[in-house]
Amino acid sequence: MRRHTILLVEDNADDAELTQTALARTRVDATLDIVTGGEDALDYLFGETSDGSMRPLPALVLLDLNLRGMSGLDVLNRIRARTATRRLPVVILTTSDNASDIAAGYDLGVNSYIRKPADLDTFTEVMHRLGLYWLHTNTPPPANG
Amino acid sequence: MTDTILRLMEPHAAPARRGIGVRLLAFIVLFSSFVTLVLTAIELYIDFRVDVNTIEERLNEIERGYLDSLGSSLWNVDLQQIRLQLDGILRLPDMRAAEVRETVPGIAAPIVISAGAPSPYAALVRERAIKVSVRGGERTIGVFRVEASLEGVYQRLINKTAIILVSQGVKTFIVSLFILFIVHRLVTRVLVDIAARLDAYEHQGRPGPLRIPVPPGHHADELGRVVKALNASFDGLHSANRQLVEMNAELERDIAARLRAEQEVVRLNAGLEQRVRQRTAELEAANGELDSFVYSVSHDLRAPVRRIEGFTRLLDEDPNSALSEKSRHYLTRIRAGAGEMGEMIESFLKLSRSTRADLAIATVDLSALAAQTFANLREREPERAVTAEIQPGLTVQGDPRLLDIVVGNLIGNAWKYSRNVPDAVIAFGAQESFGRTVYAVRDNGAGFAAELADRLFVPFVRLHRPEEFEGSGIGLATVRRILARHGGRIWAESDTGRGATFFFTLWEPRGTDETPHDPAGRG
Repeated sequence: MRRHTILLVEDNADDAELTQTALARTRVDATLDIVTGGEDALDYLFGETSDGSMRPLPALVLLDLNLRGMSGLDVLNRIRARTATRRLPVVILTTSDNASDIAAGYDLGVNSYIRKPADLDTFTEVMHRLGLYWLHTNTPPPANG
Repeated sequence: MTDTILRLMEPHAAPARRGIGVRLLAFIVLFSSFVTLVLTAIELYIDFRVDVNTIEERLNEIERGYLDSLGSSLWNVDLQQIRLQLDGILRLPDMRAAEVRETVPGIAAPIVISAGAPSPYAALVRERAIKVSVRGGERTIGVFRVEASLEGVYQRLINKTAIILVSQGVKTFIVSLFILFIVHRLVTRVLVDIAARLDAYEHQGRPGPLRIPVPPGHHADELGRVVKALNASFDGLHSANRQLVEMNAELERDIAARLRAEQEVVRLNAGLEQRVRQRTAELEAANGELDSFVYSVSHDLRAPVRRIEGFTRLLDEDPNSALSEKSRHYLTRIRAGAGEMGEMIESFLKLSRSTRADLAIATVDLSALAAQTFANLREREPERAVTAEIQPGLTVQGDPRLLDIVVGNLIGNAWKYSRNVPDAVIAFGAQESFGRTVYAVRDNGAGFAAELADRLFVPFVRLHRPEEFEGSGIGLATVRRILARHGGRIWAESDTGRGATFFFTLWEPRGTDETPHDPAGRG
């Protein structure tokens, strides 16, 4: 089975590390690619690799909302605007439980909205379920659809 | 002269066509004429009687003087003599006719001798038998008739009447004019003068009191008294009027001042309302900003607290770390602090949400919420044996999310504070009281000192030491704020060690507050 790639858009290195740790503590077999800003995320998704070929899309995007510069919702909007990433599973992973953020996320077509739990054990649990669901339970959209 | 008389008769032509003078004149003339007529009639009657008596007397004298000589003349048939005598009689005043007629029986042509003509008017007639003495006896030989006319008498009476009437009329007229003149001089002129002054008095403006000078020569009489009384009355009127005017002016000033004051009040009120509205809007805006600030600060604090928790956890679990016992103790304290801080932040956010979010009103089953709360608590602490008594079917209108916080908090508190009681009982029910439904959450746990009941609902006030019962001290403040948004109140009754009961209401009619509660801004 091909090893899945998850793209984490997170501008805080500590949070990124915690997310990576939590994911590592689960038995979900996935590679976590981390970008630290909205622009980097768009580059990752739409840009070319050093050898000129198109990078394959990740199986899942974990998107933080509170980013420096371009906001998470902006990134989501761009992702949904492009044909290639129109159906890409995107999960918002944030500490915000602001109702307007949640509503805006769903309005822009996010697949899921998850609040990061405060303690690491619960977070690990959440990451476990998240990985199981999106990487193994869920049927992904067809490529180039 | 005529002008003067007219003026005297009608001293004030226009306003008084029937002036005192005219009426006085009329009465005097009428009365005087009546008296004159009566007196004249009496006088004339007496004169008439005297005249008639004079004529009668004269007839008597004629009878005495002529009857005998006429008798002898007739006896002797001396017709000449008879005629002379009859003419003599006619020369006497008022005599109109005289006649001698023979009345001896048996004579074919008796002697008839007459003088004068009988009067067509009323007349006095005297007839006497003419007698002669013949041989010792008397014998009637004729009739003597004399007629006196009353024409003269009447003529004299008429003349006299005319003279009396004319003289009396002239006298009456002159006297009347004189009386009129005197009245005018003494009374009418003064009255007219008074009337003119009264008419000419201008009430407008601020004239002095009306003053009528006492007419000269009237100081002691009735007119003088009238004028003086009038003047006194004018003085009184004037001062009363002046007082009225002053009072009026004062009233007008008062009214003007009051109007100004009212306008000022209205203006100030409008300004005040405007300012209140503005200030309220500012306060609301500031409150909103403060809430947003609290919310975003709390929100932003979450991430670092989460990191502390996460990394201390990793450190704690890292098998490669060589932490001393003491270091491990410190780490535990750090993690406890971070956990507490995380809880507080969550409480903050809950409190903030309870006021920020719009109410989404729906029918809420409080009994079901209570049951769910108990289920959650039991799942978290299965070792606790707590009896839950829930009155079924308690439904209200409200925001389900916020009311869940209310029920969860109250039952959670009861659960928490009855931890040290072996046979804990928690009851949730409702009863009608004063026309509204009062809900109650009762426990038989630790309770609190009754005098502290009011402080329960102040944020961050805790009645127990953290070592006894954990908590942020913000739950009841949140509950009270949510209930306030639902038009309700909350209060508590308890005593230390005897359990606690929390009562709350929803949608209470305004103005029925019996227990004081803080404005929502503080809670």
